[in-house]
Amino acid sequence: MQPLLDVRELEVKLFTRSGTVTAIDRLSFTVEEKETVALVGESGCGKSMTALAIMGLLPSPPARLTGGEVLLQGRDLARLGDSAMQKVRGRQISMIFQDPMSSLNPVMTIGAQLSEILRRHMGLTGASARKRAIELLAQVRIPDPQRRYDAYPHELSGGMNQRVVIAMAIACEPKLLIADEPTTALDVTIQSQILKLLRDLQLAYGMGIIFITHDLGVVAEMADRAVVMYAGRKIEEAPIDPLFEQPLHPYTRGLIGSTPAAEGRHSRLAEIPGSVPSLRDLPAGCAFSNRCPSVFAACHSERPPLIRPAPERAAACLLVQP
Amino acid sequence: MRRIILRRLLQAIPLILGVIVLNFALIQMAPGTMLDVITSEQQVSDPEQLEHLRRLYGMDQPSIVQLWNYILSVFRLDLGYSYRHGAPVIDVITAHLPATLILMLTSILLAAIVGVAAGVASSLKVNTIWDALISLCAVFFFAAPTFWLGIMLIIIFSVHLGWFPVGGMRTIGGDPGLFGATLDLLRHLALPAITLGLFYAAIYARVMRASMLEVQGLDFVRTARAKGLSPFRVTVAHVLRNALLPVVTLLGLQLSTVLGGSVVVEAVFNWPGIGSLMVDAVMSRNYPVVLGIFVLSACVVIVANLIVDLAYARLDPRIRAR
Amino acid sequence: MSGVRIQRFLGLLRAFARNRGAVLGMAIIAAVVIVALAAPLMFNYSPLRIVGRPEQWPFTSWRFPLGTDSLGRDVAAMVVYGARTTLMIGIVASLTATVIGVTVGAVAAYFGGWVDEVLTRITELFQTIPNIIFIMSVVAILGQRMENITIAIGLIMWPQIARLTRAEFMSLRDREFVQACKTMGMGNFRIMAGEILPNALPSVIVLASLVVASAILFEAAVAFLGLGDPNVASWGALIGDGRSLIRTSWYICAIPGFAIMLTVLALNLVGDGLNDALNPRLRDR
Repeated sequence: MQPLLDVRELEVKLFTRSGTVTAIDRLSFTVEEKETVALVGESGCGKSMTALAIMGLLPSPPARLTGGEVLLQGRDLARLGDSAMQKVRGRQISMIFQDPMSSLNPVMTIGAQLSEILRRHMGLTGASARKRAIELLAQVRIPDPQRRYDAYPHELSGGMNQRVVIAMAIACEPKLLIADEPTTALDVTIQSQILKLLRDLQLAYGMGIIFITHDLGVVAEMADRAVVMYAGRKIEEAPIDPLFEQPLHPYTRGLIGSTPAAEGRHSRLAEIPGSVPSLRDLPAGCAFSNRCPSVFAACHSERPPLIRPAPERAAACLLVQP
Repeated sequence: MRRIILRRLLQAIPLILGVIVLNFALIQMAPGTMLDVITSEQQVSDPEQLEHLRRLYGMDQPSIVQLWNYILSVFRLDLGYSYRHGAPVIDVITAHLPATLILMLTSILLAAIVGVAAGVASSLKVNTIWDALISLCAVFFFAAPTFWLGIMLIIIFSVHLGWFPVGGMRTIGGDPGLFGATLDLLRHLALPAITLGLFYAAIYARVMRASMLEVQGLDFVRTARAKGLSPFRVTVAHVLRNALLPVVTLLGLQLSTVLGGSVVVEAVFNWPGIGSLMVDAVMSRNYPVVLGIFVLSACVVIVANLIVDLAYARLDPRIRAR
Repeated sequence: MSGVRIQRFLGLLRAFARNRGAVLGMAIIAAVVIVALAAPLMFNYSPLRIVGRPEQWPFTSWRFPLGTDSLGRDVAAMVVYGARTTLMIGIVASLTATVIGVTVGAVAAYFGGWVDEVLTRITELFQTIPNIIFIMSVVAILGQRMENITIAIGLIMWPQIARLTRAEFMSLRDREFVQACKTMGMGNFRIMAGEILPNALPSVIVLASLVVASAILFEAAVAFLGLGDPNVASWGALIGDGRSLIRTSWYICAIPGFAIMLTVLALNLVGDGLNDALNPRLRDR
């Protein structure tokens, strides 16, 4: 069965005045229907850029998609022109972003912003659009949706605004939802409500979800599989439980080690020394070589290929036995 | 909303009082007593009239009392008498007011339409030759002194091309019919309105361009694109609606400068409005008219700013909430 | 300490020099200043003296490269001496405006409360009164002299500087280094002038350059209307004189107008350059 989304050898370059930089370096991964794949990594590793590349929303003066394919049910989105992509966005693939307070147009009511997507893709107008919009608001658990329809974004809290954003995202029953750090800007209690909402909606609509985050706790709660990224490259991929039980890549191990354990064990939080190298001065060989605790000579000269020691597991590390 | 109206009204009153006090201070600073100047410049020698004027201007009373009387008389719209025109100052001013209002409103309208259109066009074609051309024109019309621009326009379009009359508001002995009279007025209005409007169009174009570019980069625009909306809808309903806000504020703030600008333009084109009246009054040392215009125009500006403030509060829902 | 200051200054200079428009603007202004200073050397007679046949066109005679006006005065001399008037009024007016504006803005922001309220009302007052009308009133009552015009222009322009200074001071007032100075027992004036002001200065300098441009335009307008000082040559006055001759000798209007436009343009370019140099923005991601 062909996967819902098949990203193959995706390459995105940034063309700046001071040189050209590869932001995404031949990234490949798949997402199945009803599956949640987490894209994990620190800021700047390329996970948000991947999402934008899939949506065709790369900021075009510096960034450009220079290679690879993005197959949505077999159809290559990377080759589509913008007017064709407009029919895909919001309809087949939706995206929600990090900061709900700035994600909505401040001078339009939330009802109007919801209705405009219904008008665009579903052909609804006037009263029927309003009715459907109110249904959607109820579905994302916004209390008193009739009144909220005419509210402005600044009149609602962050959590409510994020629900509105989610309502806009599921309005046309998309096949794939990309969530870029949707809970990072919210309080912890609201966070879990939103995550639960997303899980329920996924069950109801059967969507695939790409969940972008740097928070491993959220990964553990939401994802079926995880793709770990570093400096624009995929360095590990695994189903959730095996990933946490036995991380293969030293970077993944470091990430998991630096997450406070839920049981509250009084072990010291491990810290990965050093910092992510700038994309302009990546070390030769493995990108993680200058911070890796298990580094050896070959790491500095050879770029490790993705090694698959087991089905569904991959890691780009020379230490991994194939 | 009502609270805002009340607050602004309360803020406007001390302003008006301040203007009146300033006016009074100017009167007191005149060399000799004002009475001497009025009477000598306007050739009043009848002793009965002199005594009437002395009592009218309260010359024999302490300054504070004079100030109080002056404030009261201003609120009664009693601004003195102009012997040159043989009528109360207030009547002279109101007779000349319509011409100035026509000029100002036409100019602002022209400036807003042309400026906003140019600014939007510039931002949509940013960093291309069109952008550069529009910016160049904007700089030219901004830096050139308004009166000089007017003269140059007269030289090109009136003297050499003969498309428009050289000055004045109406052709003496022209077509009395309504259609003909309106056409005649428009022909006379064209160059002055363009002259006054071009300066502000340049400002609006620049502000609009910057505003569009800034709004384009905001999060909610990214959300709108991610919803798959057409580029036209994104630009108009999301970017433009937000980008217009600074221009509207600007429009409001500039009412006092437009009034000043129209003074000069009226002088260039012999347009029979307040500006021409002012120039004439200054030349002939007609103090009552000079000061009457000062105090009245300042009050008009204060009231107009008040109206614009309230309009702005209507436009931006975020302000209404405060 | 001064070594660091010199380094920063050179850095700013380099940032400024990168902006070609700003350099061009600087060059134009330098040219105007040089011409203004060299006026007595170039023409050792008063520009208002009648020296030849009236209404001669430019480039028709060696003695009068820019022609003569309606009375037979040398246009070139008037333009050159006019530069002096223009620069003088522009600079003095904007200096006046800056001094008043910075003081009002700083005091209002620093002390807050009712002081702020009162000063803001006064600022609003001067900002609302229509500019030209105010100057004309002052000139009408106090007389057509350069000092009156200069002060009147200064009085119109200070509100913008006050507003900017106030905004800058307000954002700087609550920073830690100010608190530190207060705990050290520094007097208010020293804190305002010695600590906060140098940080607020860059934005004020940028605005001041634009204020000079506005002042020049105001002076020109007033002179054009015939309300300027009749004892000095002025670009605006020249345009005003030439108004009635636009059918035959329109060069009398055109030439000084170009001069004004170039100067104002140059000042705007310099202002933009200063803005870019003093408030760096991220350019590449």
